[in-house]
Amino acid sequence: MTVQMTSAEAPAARASGAPLASGFSDPRRTSVPVLLVFLLPALLVYAGLTAYPAFRTIYDSFFTIEGLERIPVGLSNYAALLQDETFWVAVRNTFIWSFVAPCLDVATGLLLALALYAGVPFARFLRIAWFTPVLLSYVVVAILWMWIYNYDWGVVNVALRAVGLDGWTRSWLGDPNFALASVIVTHAWKWAGFNMVVCLAAIHSLPSEVLEAAELDNCGWGAKLRHIIVPMLKPTLLNLYVLAFIGKMKVFDLVWIMTGGGPLWATETVSTYVYKRAFNWNTFDLGYPSAIATVWFGVVCAAVILLNKAFKSKDRLEY
Amino acid sequence: MQAHRQMPRLFGRGALALVIGAYTVYTLGPFLWLATMSVRNTGEISADHYAWPNPWRWEQFRVAWVDSDFATYFWNSALVVVTAVAVVTLVGAAAAHALARYRFRGNRVIYGILFSSIIFPPQITLISLYQILVDYNLYNSLLGLTLVYISLQLPLTVYLLEGFFARIPQDLFDAAKMDGYGDIEIFRRIVLPIGMPAIATTLILNFIQLWNEFLFAVVLITDPEKRTLPIGIRAFMGDHFQDIGMIAAGVMISVIPVILAYAFFSEKLIRGMTAGAVK
Amino acid sequence: MTVRASLNAALFVVAMGGTAQAQSQITMWSNWPDEPAKKDWVSARVKEFEEVNKQCSVKLSFIPKADIYTQAKSAVRTGQAPDIFYMEPDQPEFLAGGFLEPLDGYIDLKGLEDWAKPAWTSKGKVYGVPVEAYTVELYYNKELVKKVGVEVPASAQLTQAQFADLVKKGVAAGITPVSQGVGDRPFPGGFLLYESLLRRLGAEDYGKLMAGELSYKDPRIVEVMSWVKELVDAGAYPKSFATLKLGESHYYFYQKPGALTFPDPSWFTGRAFAPPESGGMPTDFPLGIMQFPAMDKGTCPSCKTLAVAGSYVLYSRSKNKDCAGALLKSMATVENGTKWMEQVSLQTGLKSDPNKINSPREAYFKELNARNTGVKYFFGTPLFHYRAKCAETYTQVMNNAFPAGLISVSDAAEKMDAACLKK
Repeated sequence: MTVQMTSAEAPAARASGAPLASGFSDPRRTSVPVLLVFLLPALLVYAGLTAYPAFRTIYDSFFTIEGLERIPVGLSNYAALLQDETFWVAVRNTFIWSFVAPCLDVATGLLLALALYAGVPFARFLRIAWFTPVLLSYVVVAILWMWIYNYDWGVVNVALRAVGLDGWTRSWLGDPNFALASVIVTHAWKWAGFNMVVCLAAIHSLPSEVLEAAELDNCGWGAKLRHIIVPMLKPTLLNLYVLAFIGKMKVFDLVWIMTGGGPLWATETVSTYVYKRAFNWNTFDLGYPSAIATVWFGVVCAAVILLNKAFKSKDRLEY
Repeated sequence: MQAHRQMPRLFGRGALALVIGAYTVYTLGPFLWLATMSVRNTGEISADHYAWPNPWRWEQFRVAWVDSDFATYFWNSALVVVTAVAVVTLVGAAAAHALARYRFRGNRVIYGILFSSIIFPPQITLISLYQILVDYNLYNSLLGLTLVYISLQLPLTVYLLEGFFARIPQDLFDAAKMDGYGDIEIFRRIVLPIGMPAIATTLILNFIQLWNEFLFAVVLITDPEKRTLPIGIRAFMGDHFQDIGMIAAGVMISVIPVILAYAFFSEKLIRGMTAGAVK
Repeated sequence: MTVRASLNAALFVVAMGGTAQAQSQITMWSNWPDEPAKKDWVSARVKEFEEVNKQCSVKLSFIPKADIYTQAKSAVRTGQAPDIFYMEPDQPEFLAGGFLEPLDGYIDLKGLEDWAKPAWTSKGKVYGVPVEAYTVELYYNKELVKKVGVEVPASAQLTQAQFADLVKKGVAAGITPVSQGVGDRPFPGGFLLYESLLRRLGAEDYGKLMAGELSYKDPRIVEVMSWVKELVDAGAYPKSFATLKLGESHYYFYQKPGALTFPDPSWFTGRAFAPPESGGMPTDFPLGIMQFPAMDKGTCPSCKTLAVAGSYVLYSRSKNKDCAGALLKSMATVENGTKWMEQVSLQTGLKSDPNKINSPREAYFKELNARNTGVKYFFGTPLFHYRAKCAETYTQVMNNAFPAGLISVSDAAEKMDAACLKK
């Protein structure tokens, strides 16, 4: 896109402080004061409420903080962290969640979006219905699903007993083998609708010529899916995967309310562990939880960078 | 943009209908169950958790709203969230516009910095934010919480809006410049109206996330009168731990307005997300 | 009104209001939002206080236990904690951090029971008003126990074998032998095991265990743990044990579906004596109290755990210490201790006058007192003694995993030693 201005406009453009280049002025440049007006509020908020606290946390991790005293302890918090069994269990749980669950989320979202796209009746109602869980607060979702998983009268066990599969009933949130999976299912229930909406929007924006051409070639749905739709949606799907991944690395609310990290640390995530160390243990020390937070921050950054490389982020366009 | 109307040949119509039906039950079922429990009292529920309500005890809603301070929680949430969303959308839009539209040194660096904070786990800022708010006397205040909420949603806002604003054709700006408009006026008169779908989407997403925000609210607010709705529901649950009917009623109160608002605005949201999906 | 008249009126009001303006407001956080009797007692104390001390007004909030600690912990660091808040003696970090004010200058120490004072004494000063005290009891359903064919002797204590028999018979009859739930508390799962350990080891060695000076691999401990493991494997606890909440475990015992026994501290009454529609015990429930089973080769079959629970403390950085201190003083009296026992049917760390107790629950008290005569008390539950990693391990392993049958005796002992044994 070239910009053409008559020579009469050039002085006006120059007056606005833009640099001149051979008689043309670039409306994509503007003066520093104007830039500041646009950027300063955001940068101030960021600096004061995001960057500064982050640096302070990293700084704090080198101290032990009891009440109002600070005792520098160098790297001993980090050394303790390496030995901390609970921390490693939490890391393992969070990784399982973050790598596995997004696959479920994205796949479900895609399938739902395809179902809607294929033109089912009541599409508008279904779209709203399927999106509803996204609107609910984690507190509500946790309460609902704790009732659903209830051993004596929850939906899952009642249904199993109704069809005679009594042997399959379990205390879903109380059994270390099933607790993590149960919480993951609940989390996926909440977010499926979001992924669906994004996929749906992306599908709608696919150029219809390609799909029509495939129609003419008599491609079956399976082939259409594999060879056309998924490859064309790849940027969107990968974007969703990364977003979901990031979300799961941070998850706290749901786990905290449903299981508090139990049973036997089966659902302990890094977030719940940090919270416990900062607010629940019999100590006021904030240095150790700061160390955990710092390490985790590094891990998340590294993981996202790796994922981006793996997905060749150059291909990922915004949706 | 036409929807293809043929039924997929991979599955029969029946199978598809079954799957869709099952998924709808899976999605809406818990909610319907909650609704039925909210109009029964605990005795009835304990006797049979899945029976149809008889009678319909609407007064449980009144008790939850009036006796349990739900009005206060609602008001607090509304105040904090509406303010935060308004401010963050404005500030984020301004920054997004500058990043999308203007070339200057450090543009991509600033964008990268603002965007990368999306991946910050909340714990990295939680503990320090708590200390910072204390130092500035903003602990346990709705103002402090609002400020924190603004900072929480800024990266996402900038990310979503920058992507959209960058796609507004440059010609519009050139024409406006030729007409003599200043940069700030251009922002007001061109970017905001044209960017409305994306702004609406961002508004709604921010609203949903902040309305349901729990972690920062539970740490930064301790005064029962300043609780926001998610904390209020949890406290409510603690007060009535055996009173399932009451809890259900309270939860319904907190959930219905959001769903109604969504049903009402969903078209705008979909249009916004679809418009932003132009490749 | 003319300007002058209104100015005069304003001056008049200010002059009159001068004394009234000295009213200060103190904030008070209490637990027990869902226990009506305790809630009423606290509210009544506050109301009485406000009536007598017009210059002090009290903003009282009832907050669930889970939240009250987290919020108190956050709040005390900021100088904005409530003036008076609820606390139990198992949070020594508040004391260590200097956040609590010594009460010696405010309350009448003679109003406190001598055995309760140590829970809150540090360096010779008392820091809390021990309102709630309890003993760990074993409640049971007289009818159901008889129905499954078990005779409870007059001493109200079964032997180890008899208790195991009780469990087997309960399971055979399809009735859960022991109601218990750890869904929202970090301690209930340990009652049966630790009371049995106390009776087997005796007060001295049990004290060593609490202090981290005795290994869990001690053969006596292993024997007791193996016995409990047998009960667990036989199906003693409810299947929903890990997620059943404390309140729900009460309901499970005396309403639906019903259980044979229920180990619970004597604060059982806070929920049991609530009206049945609100989750309380049915009025005709055949409640019995027995002693925990006597252990074979047990050193102290008549030992029992006594502890202080809900207390009120004064924030050291409070700006209204006079009013707050006065409130605590008005709370810590013999009269109020008596009222507590009457209305809540629970022990208290405040002195009380047994002659004046006019409880509607005479039969209950009679039985409770019978179970507490000739008894040797050990002070403090495991969580009162254990800290930090040891406390967390207790909560996850002994309270949750072991009674849930998820971990073997040796693994549990291993984990507990790793976390608690002093090296």
